[in-house]
Amino acid sequence: MGVTEWLLRRAAGHPRPFVVSAEHGTRARLLGEAEIARRRWRPAEPAGEANLLLVCGAPREEFDDAIRTVWDDMPGPRARVDLPGDASSGSIGQSLDRAVVHLADKDAQWRDAAARAGKPWSPGEERHSPDADAPRHGHGSHATHGQEHDEHEGGHHEHHMGNPGGLPMADRGPDRDGLSLDRLRVPMGPILSDWPCGLVVESVLQGDVIQEATVRWMRSGESFWSEPWDRAAAGHPVTRAEAGRRRAAAHLDSLGRLLSVSGWSGAARRARTLRDRLLADVPRDALAAPYRSFERQVRRSRTLRWMLRDVGSTEDGDAVSRLEGWLTWTRAAIESLEDETPLDGEPPARNVLHPGLLVGVELASARLIIASLDPDPAVAHA
Amino acid sequence: MLDATLLALPLALVTLGLAAACLDAILGGARASAPFGEVARLLVQQRRRTLLPDTLLLRIGVVSLVVAPVLAGIVIPLADAPVADLAVGIVWFNAMEVCVWGSLWLTGWSVNSVYPLVGAYRFVAQGLAYELPHMFALITVALGAGSLRMSDAVQAQQGLWFVVWMPLAFLIYLVSALAMAFWGPMSQPVSDDLAGGVRAELSGPDRLLFQAGRYALLVVAAAAAVPLFLGGGAGPVLPSWLWVLIKTTAVLGLLVWIRHRVPAIRMDRFTQVSWLVLIPLSLVQLLVVGIVVV
Repeated sequence: MGVTEWLLRRAAGHPRPFVVSAEHGTRARLLGEAEIARRRWRPAEPAGEANLLLVCGAPREEFDDAIRTVWDDMPGPRARVDLPGDASSGSIGQSLDRAVVHLADKDAQWRDAAARAGKPWSPGEERHSPDADAPRHGHGSHATHGQEHDEHEGGHHEHHMGNPGGLPMADRGPDRDGLSLDRLRVPMGPILSDWPCGLVVESVLQGDVIQEATVRWMRSGESFWSEPWDRAAAGHPVTRAEAGRRRAAAHLDSLGRLLSVSGWSGAARRARTLRDRLLADVPRDALAAPYRSFERQVRRSRTLRWMLRDVGSTEDGDAVSRLEGWLTWTRAAIESLEDETPLDGEPPARNVLHPGLLVGVELASARLIIASLDPDPAVAHA
Repeated sequence: MLDATLLALPLALVTLGLAAACLDAILGGARASAPFGEVARLLVQQRRRTLLPDTLLLRIGVVSLVVAPVLAGIVIPLADAPVADLAVGIVWFNAMEVCVWGSLWLTGWSVNSVYPLVGAYRFVAQGLAYELPHMFALITVALGAGSLRMSDAVQAQQGLWFVVWMPLAFLIYLVSALAMAFWGPMSQPVSDDLAGGVRAELSGPDRLLFQAGRYALLVVAAAAAVPLFLGGGAGPVLPSWLWVLIKTTAVLGLLVWIRHRVPAIRMDRFTQVSWLVLIPLSLVQLLVVGIVVV
């Protein structure tokens, strides 16, 4: 057994998965994340670190192009798992096992690498790969998956003093201090870590401050979180306990994303563990105490408040008030986990992302604003 | 004695670096063998190349990130004597750590990509915020010891460790140790919200070197706290090298634990605190030490 094979086998035992959630993929994404946590793998939070791509749901064409770009950019050895939206926990486990076997298979990985060997990408060319992207999805680097974002890209082509690498130079524009700085078009998303899947924020950056932003979605609304209310509206008997469980899980999912974007990985992990236990129908008595201790830890953190104060201020409050709102609602939902009365009322409203909130804000704050809103296209298009 | 120390330094860096990575994995909910799997994975991974990178500067940046902590570690007494007991050891340590600014900047700039560039700018901002308090903390130690030599600092702590009567300097040093290794609360330059920041486009052996350099920096920063504040190898019963190891492991464990306990701190907010609070505090500490010494 050669050194490469031995290293491949050791590496395949510790894959770094990255989960992408497409149309109707939330259920599969949650089960996938729970399975990954159960196996104690370390998720690759930036997709650039990943070697295992988990696609949940059925992506539409544009989103599929973005996913294919991420997949093409993934350095070998790599493996991909496509899960349908209604995948069960057992089938997810089997798919992950097959992916691990594929990662350890030296011959398959060599064939995969040989199929991808070719000229490096240049702008304006078709990609010479088995799954060819459209030229407009060409790219030189990997960070924002799906679209161009090199340093030399601009909208104006009047006078260019040469095209380094075939890309036009960036144009200039005034910035908030009256200087004339380069304007760089950077689409954030649709595939980033802890990001509402399918959201694309087309931004114009000067330095790292967003000057203009447009919001669009590559998928339609997610119905998983409002499922109990939809079923009740359709006439099925649904208890408040079920709705409370789903609501608490939704808020814990959003909290996990916000805490992860804030850089507090320990608290994010606790939120996600609680979410997985809620969705696994763990009874209220086993959840109340862990949730209370998690809530205490997050509420008491002065550093978190300091970082989130005045971030994304709207008339309803800033990121701190949204965080506290989620914590309070989750506590109420967990309290109602044994309430068997029938459900009535509207599902909880998801926040809307106004592009105006992102203008004049630097990238880190923009990520925090989006994470603290955790928007959904269903509401945005309402 | 010199030969043993020369071998012991890289060995200690590698061992403690791996131990820190294993502790970080356990605290993050993964298995303790995860770092070894990650090393194996990066050794067989393909290297990623972007459009029009500046390859020479990229290599210089990544390699210098590994070399700088090793050079910084040659002045740290591992048992009784360091590899090189320079007369200006404390300044040398600071200078080598500042080389890291250059390596992160070069790495972020030369891959010709937006997120690494933004990460590199964030590190420059971080450097401006933490460096002055850090230097004042080191000057406080030098003032207390009456010399810039690290072994003189250990000698001066025979009676009382510096951490007891220079607590502010020790706290400021710990914060700047986090910032120097861009770890934990100070990891904005490589944070996930920028898709990995400076290391976003690194893959395969480049990423392995970068990660190794980062852990080596963390170990060296933790190890330097021992002769500067914690009395070096002083302690009852056990030999001095074992005490150095125990104290270094304790500080290293604290730094790794902090990562999972505290959110990331953004530099636009931290700079205010650093310049308006930390610098005056470190100056007050310097004044107190100056009065005591004189």
